[in-house]
Amino acid sequence: MNERLTNLRQRVRQRQQTDERTTPAPDVWAECEAQKLGWMQRSAQRTRRMCEAERPVIWPEERIVFTRTIPETPPIYTESQIAEMTRGRILHELGPISNICADWGAVLADGLLTRRRIAQAARQRLADNPEAVEFLDAAIETIEAVLGLAARYAEAARAAGRRDLAEILEHVPAQAPRTFHEALQSLRLLQAVVWLSGHYHVGLGRFDQYMWPYLWADLQTGRLDLPAAEELVADFFIALNKDSDLYPGVQQGDNGQSLMLGGVTPRGEDAVNELTSMVLRAARDLSMIDPKINLRISTQTDLELLSLAAELTRKGLGFPQYSNDDLVIPALTAHGYDLEDARNYTVAACWEFIIPGKGMEVVNIGAVSFPHAVDQAIRQGLRQNEDFDAILERIRTNIRDQTEARLADYRKLFLPPAPYYSVLMDGCLATGRDLSHGLRYNNFGLHGAASANAADALAAVKRFVFEEKSLPPAELIAALEADFEGYADLRDALSHQAPKVANRDALADEMLVFLFDCFADACEGQPPNPRGGILRPGTGSAMYYVWLARGREAMREPVVGATADGRRSGDFFSANLAPSLGVRADSPLKVFESFSKIDYRRICNGGPVTIELSDSVFRNQEVIRKVAMLVRSFARMGGQQLQINSLNAETLFAARQHPERYPNLIVRVWGWSGYFCELAPEYQDHIIQRCLYQMAE
Amino acid sequence: MKKGIVFDIKEFAVHDGPGIRTTVFLKGCPLRCSWCHNPEGISPKPQILHTPIGTRLAGEEYTPRGLADLLNQQATFLTENEGGVTFSGGEPLFQADFLIETIALLDEIHLLLDTSGYAPTQDFARLAARVDLIYLDMKSLDAQVFRQYCGGDLAVILANLEQLKTMSTPVVIRAPLIPGVTDSIQNMTAIARAAASLPTLQRVDLLAYQVLAAAKYPLAGLSYNPGFDEKRSPQIHGETFDKAGIPWRVV
Ligand code: SF4
Repeated sequence: MNERLTNLRQRVRQRQQTDERTTPAPDVWAECEAQKLGWMQRSAQRTRRMCEAERPVIWPEERIVFTRTIPETPPIYTESQIAEMTRGRILHELGPISNICADWGAVLADGLLTRRRIAQAARQRLADNPEAVEFLDAAIETIEAVLGLAARYAEAARAAGRRDLAEILEHVPAQAPRTFHEALQSLRLLQAVVWLSGHYHVGLGRFDQYMWPYLWADLQTGRLDLPAAEELVADFFIALNKDSDLYPGVQQGDNGQSLMLGGVTPRGEDAVNELTSMVLRAARDLSMIDPKINLRISTQTDLELLSLAAELTRKGLGFPQYSNDDLVIPALTAHGYDLEDARNYTVAACWEFIIPGKGMEVVNIGAVSFPHAVDQAIRQGLRQNEDFDAILERIRTNIRDQTEARLADYRKLFLPPAPYYSVLMDGCLATGRDLSHGLRYNNFGLHGAASANAADALAAVKRFVFEEKSLPPAELIAALEADFEGYADLRDALSHQAPKVANRDALADEMLVFLFDCFADACEGQPPNPRGGILRPGTGSAMYYVWLARGREAMREPVVGATADGRRSGDFFSANLAPSLGVRADSPLKVFESFSKIDYRRICNGGPVTIELSDSVFRNQEVIRKVAMLVRSFARMGGQQLQINSLNAETLFAARQHPERYPNLIVRVWGWSGYFCELAPEYQDHIIQRCLYQMAE
Repeated sequence: MKKGIVFDIKEFAVHDGPGIRTTVFLKGCPLRCSWCHNPEGISPKPQILHTPIGTRLAGEEYTPRGLADLLNQQATFLTENEGGVTFSGGEPLFQADFLIETIALLDEIHLLLDTSGYAPTQDFARLAARVDLIYLDMKSLDAQVFRQYCGGDLAVILANLEQLKTMSTPVVIRAPLIPGVTDSIQNMTAIARAAASLPTLQRVDLLAYQVLAAAKYPLAGLSYNPGFDEKRSPQIHGETFDKAGIPWRVV
């Protein structure tokens, strides 16, 4: 990194951009009330008024501009108005559409003027369809707002003597970029306005695919060489880190600015290009939490690329996250995705597979708590003196009930209009339909949370109560109800002598597979959702590894007390696919073996296997290559998605004691990475525990 | 069948030889190096370790068949990843018969013997002939220092060095750099000379001493008295090896 970039990065890490946040938010609600606007119009009004109010900021060392000066996103309705208008319906999370991916490639290539022409043509064609007209007017209003914002930035650039920037901003995002630099600037502005419009978890999709033609052309003509191009990528990434603290999430860093690399083209050819490795290098050298890098791999992926990815892992950022095309693409086609679209998948905020531009999917409608299903079945079944099969049957029923309950809520889902986001999607303008009415893919996704703990609990009961008959059912129930108070020996046996997932134990693995089979059956048994979508079962937990253990206000999912894997009430579950906390599992191989047994043709919503490697593993280039081989083995063994954390227990302890000394320490939390010292203590504890028990050195 | 005592089997071992390896740590060692980084490997008997996250038994009995089966299951994975199995310790030759029997039951797989060379020549020769690579520890070639810090008779090592000269198994010499004990120019020169005399020598690895070892002693109920200044960093006399035309590196 050169001096300019080093300074710029430093400036952003010191959060100097927050000094720019002095513009008051326009009172959009009052304006909308005065004009008696409807929801669609209000959405457009907010986008327009935010664009108008934003004050251009141009730092002398910047080459990709846009900095937020309005820290908040003003409401367009009061909370009581929203409650009134959505009576009998539910909103997803905060309400506005989130966690999808725009068709960035097509929007960039069109430019906003072309998109406006498409909207105007549709408006003429659909003139007698008032709903379409309302939507298209709103969409055009947002397009003009973005053009206006770009024009004001161009003026400011001229005033600041930055002719280079002015010329770029006079051209994009209105028109197709002529250069790689223009493409990056265009994307920055287009994406920033999605955030300004109140949407969140705004992913960047297959960056190395849609950006490559611009870079390629520049390389051909000699306008750029590789180092100069890499510098621009770094500029762009630094810009992505400027406002990310303003984006909503469960914890600081959980902002869903994910970016996908590699994989195959829609025609099935290898899609890796020069930009793929360039992004990995730039992310490695910057070491910032945004964007969250993902890499599509297969058994064929080149070790050199994987080595570069491992160098990024070594930085301790918790990414890249790997998705295995060999499993993901067939799973998607098996679930109704066209082959070309399946080949074009990216991930949502965390890991869920979605199709850029074509998916209005809600991939995280909630979680099925496996520990709850197992715990209920154990307590009730053992009380009734049932045999093990009857307990399994109870689990099957419980998982189906939980699945139905989660889906029942979402049958009433209300998606608010999103005219600006619709501009960026495939086909909304041509058809005159807002994306909230649905796109090509309208599936829901459900997390299958805390599977390892649940499988361990079930395996312990099978072994001790049914096979060895060494544990009387009444004693187990009493121990669970007492939260193991007075049952230290039993708890020790359950924790340390029972079969465990990720320990090459056939029984524990069999229970794991059983749980996911039940889950897949439950999802496949559901009628389509109101937009015709299916329900996709996943292996992620998101924040439910904490919530299902400790409860959370307004959470629909059930909370569990002490469990038969020896876990005490309130203790965390393991996140995503990882051995239960406290289970010694220092062999990544054993972890892979267990989780590769899941049937990923059916379990297709994503959710990574998570392993921890000590940072001392990454001593030299030779070892980096071995980590790359490990990732390739993961693909060969039939793993679907993988996340590797590089951790150092001593550093984590020290950081908790002296946070001021570790402002840059980054860790992976669940589907995202954040600064360790900015996390709530319970998340910090979870990471330290993972580190103590499950780290391979 | 002779049974063996193993105190750890580490998968995804990335610092114990080429490629991704599984390292089998055999329990028991005739030496007592004051800096030993595997104190739980010294006693030949199973023992309980008290760690910050609970107690753990170090030392499990295996039959050659049991151990070979376990390793054979990983053979494809290890071979695909340019690796294999490393036998380490303690001192693996301390259980030479068990090891010989185990190796006889293994599938085609790259084997590395990580040894101090402190064993009867007959055992050393049998095993050296059956592995693909030897990591031979060379601590001090000064008989007195060796006796004082490692508790052994240097003649045993020298005899095995002679033996090795007659064999075709590739060797890497591994020299732990213990500040003020083994890192002297005299010792390095002696090691370079010994290394140069080995026709199958690949290179010399200089092992920079790990202070971390200290943390493991209390776990095994031992106290740590290294008898040298563990905070000093060791001297690295690479030029000695350069002069002798021997490839070397610090690891
Ligand atoms: S030879 Fe190795 S295992 Fe034996 S005491 Fe010395 S360092 Fe420890």
